[in-house]
Amino acid sequence: MNDSQPLENATTSIQVPSGAPDAKTRRYDRQLRLWAASGQAALESARLLVIPASATATSVMKNLVLPGLGHFTLMDDKKVTGADAGNNFFLDGMKSIGKSRAEEGVQGLLELNDGVEGVADVRDVKEVLKSHREWLKSFDVVIAHNVDSNVLDDLADLLWPGTHLVVVNSAGFLAEFSIHYQEHQIVESHSETAASLRIDKAFPALLDYAMSLSLETMDITDHAHIPYPVILVRALEEWRREREQVSGPSSGQGAPSTAAEKKAFKERIRSMMRKFDEENFEEAESQAYKCWTTTGIPSEVKELFTLYPASESSSSTFPALVSALFQFAQNNPASPLYTSGLLPLTSTLPDMKSSTDEYVKLQRMYRAQAETEKTVFKQYLSKTQVAVDEATVDTFLKNAHALKVLKGRPWKATNPGPAEVLANKLTSQPRETATHLALAAARSLRVKGVLPALELDSDATKDITMADALDKDRLKDLLTAEVKTFLPPGTALPEEEWDVASGEIARAPSADLPTTAAFLGGLVAQEIIKMITKQYVPISAGNATSDADDQLGVCVVDLVETWTAVI
Amino acid sequence: MSTSQDANDWEGRYYHIDQILDAPGPRTDEGFMAGDGVKDFLRNQAKILVIGAGGLGCEILANLALTGFKDIHVIDMDTIDISNLNRQFLFRPKDVGKSKAIVAAEFIMNRVPGVKVTPYFGKIQDKDDNYYLQFNLVICGLDSVEARRWINATLVNLVDPENPESLKPLIDGGTEGFKGQARVILPTITSCYECSLEMLNKPTAFPICTIANTPRLPEHCIEWASVLEWPRIHGDKKMDTDNPDDISWLYNVAAARAKEFNIEGVTWSLTQGVVKNIIPAIASTNAIIAASCCNEAFKIATSSAAYLNNYFMLIGTEGVYSYTFEHEKKSNCPVCGGDSLPLTINPETTLEELIEMLTERQDIQIKNPSLSTASKQLYLRAPPQLEEATRPNLAKKMSELIPGGGDVVVTAGTLPFNLSLDISFK
Repeated sequence: MNDSQPLENATTSIQVPSGAPDAKTRRYDRQLRLWAASGQAALESARLLVIPASATATSVMKNLVLPGLGHFTLMDDKKVTGADAGNNFFLDGMKSIGKSRAEEGVQGLLELNDGVEGVADVRDVKEVLKSHREWLKSFDVVIAHNVDSNVLDDLADLLWPGTHLVVVNSAGFLAEFSIHYQEHQIVESHSETAASLRIDKAFPALLDYAMSLSLETMDITDHAHIPYPVILVRALEEWRREREQVSGPSSGQGAPSTAAEKKAFKERIRSMMRKFDEENFEEAESQAYKCWTTTGIPSEVKELFTLYPASESSSSTFPALVSALFQFAQNNPASPLYTSGLLPLTSTLPDMKSSTDEYVKLQRMYRAQAETEKTVFKQYLSKTQVAVDEATVDTFLKNAHALKVLKGRPWKATNPGPAEVLANKLTSQPRETATHLALAAARSLRVKGVLPALELDSDATKDITMADALDKDRLKDLLTAEVKTFLPPGTALPEEEWDVASGEIARAPSADLPTTAAFLGGLVAQEIIKMITKQYVPISAGNATSDADDQLGVCVVDLVETWTAVI
Repeated sequence: MSTSQDANDWEGRYYHIDQILDAPGPRTDEGFMAGDGVKDFLRNQAKILVIGAGGLGCEILANLALTGFKDIHVIDMDTIDISNLNRQFLFRPKDVGKSKAIVAAEFIMNRVPGVKVTPYFGKIQDKDDNYYLQFNLVICGLDSVEARRWINATLVNLVDPENPESLKPLIDGGTEGFKGQARVILPTITSCYECSLEMLNKPTAFPICTIANTPRLPEHCIEWASVLEWPRIHGDKKMDTDNPDDISWLYNVAAARAKEFNIEGVTWSLTQGVVKNIIPAIASTNAIIAASCCNEAFKIATSSAAYLNNYFMLIGTEGVYSYTFEHEKKSNCPVCGGDSLPLTINPETTLEELIEMLTERQDIQIKNPSLSTASKQLYLRAPPQLEEATRPNLAKKMSELIPGGGDVVVTAGTLPFNLSLDISFK
């Protein structure tokens, strides 16, 4: 093994630490690859309240305790029944019967991760709403599963908008949930759309470099290693000069627009090849559309400029960053030909056919320009009087093309929702809306005492028989009568869809099925993780910048046909 | 006391489930035996196999047990790693290193009384047709394409038209980050796993010349360390990607190369991710997909409601987006279709080039295939004498080997089925 000598020398000489992660990082490795240390830190400092310790609610919590949530309080004043012990994996079977549901549930959940703090609260939420209202507002998120609507109405009013309320309802194979927030700002949306490479609006260093190459005379191997952005910038500039009939720099405007021009432009790139198999030129041809895809401000980002007007001095980070971005978009002296209409450049390059040296050279050009533009951006930011650390600025600029601000609705505006919106939705999304309405009607019947409350005591077998005894056809009729009160007079229900949705509720009005609970547990936890980490995009009632008011932002689930939809 | 009650059952245990089992709903098949009939089948007769006791498997076992399946078998060849603990919730730090199947089975039996879980710590390929014939249903929670293809082909081959019991519904789940899918396969009746092979994402592969000569990304440096430098330095010693020392070695070598080429971004975590081909995995996505699989198993086993027809796809990165659709059966599917796959090639194509073409095709994905016609062995990988005898064919043109074109049968050791090609020349 003589060969190994030089390599080992090389390896030890660079003095890198072994880098092997600690136990915690290893445990969370598979999720850190999604939301990174910043997301994990947010999760670890979040405080949640969960009401009550039902199968669904504990399933949600399981998926938050495992990834390392900071704190949860499980609130439930009931004792474990035989039914609870049968459908809730986080209770200890028969041994838990008769004990506090909150305490048993917390114990079962904490087994999953000793890094999480969990507290059982055996009070009735109705009592807490009378005596400790401020305390309820100390949580970041409150999750309520199958809690009676009248309790929710009070809780929702109390929490809005500081604490996010997540309402989950289920009956047999049907379910829905919603997150109640006013506005949700996302920097790291993990969009699959990459930021522009600015081929059509090349920055000076890139343009100069592209024009400086002696394509006909340079070494043939080097020629086959020119990265495609350089080829495209060169081809486009030559095209512009020809069109403008100038020998010096073009105006930097214009690009092939008709099909014939685009075809000719691709042929131009082909004709630049000096050998038939230069893969970098083939790549340039396939990426030629980047010449006529105008780099600008994505419309969703542009709309944010009106949401956070630059003139309005703001004390919080996100509006300050957006306002600096707006000013940058109006005047970016670092990009002389294109001083307005651009977002700061990002230095992330995709892989491309190229030699290492050429690729690294290009990467450095992009990085240098990005740094210069960041300086401009930071000057604007400094005028806002909001102190923002460097890492936050970097993350913001890296994601500036995919910023998102979502709007939500208060609970009452989704239960059941504005009559006109519902009537329209019954036409556009009949099965989804019928399912939502059936669940809302059942909630309403519970408040009226027609259906028994869902949270039963261990000795409440009378109530169970009452639910069972209620004739299913009679219950369907009651649901139909109730749902009509939600809609404009005379609105027709979609017959088949309503029959299915109301029929499913009538079949299993109080069933918290293990599989439905687990399905919801996953969906709801996923959305809460997105809310807490402020990464990825949770469900919403639309973009905050949109005037449209036709989305409820409720996620509806049917586990017979197996579909989900946000209405 | 009903027939479905056993000593472990307590008052109210099935209060929730029985709302479904006691009466039909609006989308229930007429054959549904509401009440004791269906409860007896579910709780005393149904036998279900779970393949995989990992991220999906743990969830699947818990759901099945609570739903009322009492005779569950589970197969997994893996042992527990610390990185499993963020989602595989039946395992604790003290279990690291033990068999997933055995620990999971014990946990379920302790937690849910009256449920029998029989673990097998080994490979699915160890079991024969008689083993698979004993189950009513099979649920897969796997991360391997190869294993899925094997069980899918095995269950399709099991179907005997004379014996309806031989048709074992296969429910398959898979996740990646915030995305996942669940599907129901009725072997020979609906589209099978092989029918949808081309839906899989193509694995990222870096050309060897990039790795060797023109690295640009940190990944290229890591591949250089693992693909080229490891065998050069360590000879035949196998790399153990679960051993942190081996990863550290690769990381250091990759980092040195990156430094030499001015490439940024080689980290320990990225090194591990690239060499182990790590797919992000979280509890919540597994919960959704496993619940969906078990919900379908419950509906199929009980006929209590219509079941998924036949593919549910979830994308959770942007809102909750899902798509439910019927994936179509492929008539020339090598597993469940009757037709051969037509393939028109240049007469000049050599056998070796044809093999390369087959390996690269997304809808075929066959590794190390052997090829033959009804009358002639074109190229066989084993035994060594036959390999040697057929090796000269590799360089021959297909038009020499099968002058008029025609049927060629492709086999591969890892797959229990043949692919029939119908070759014609341009």
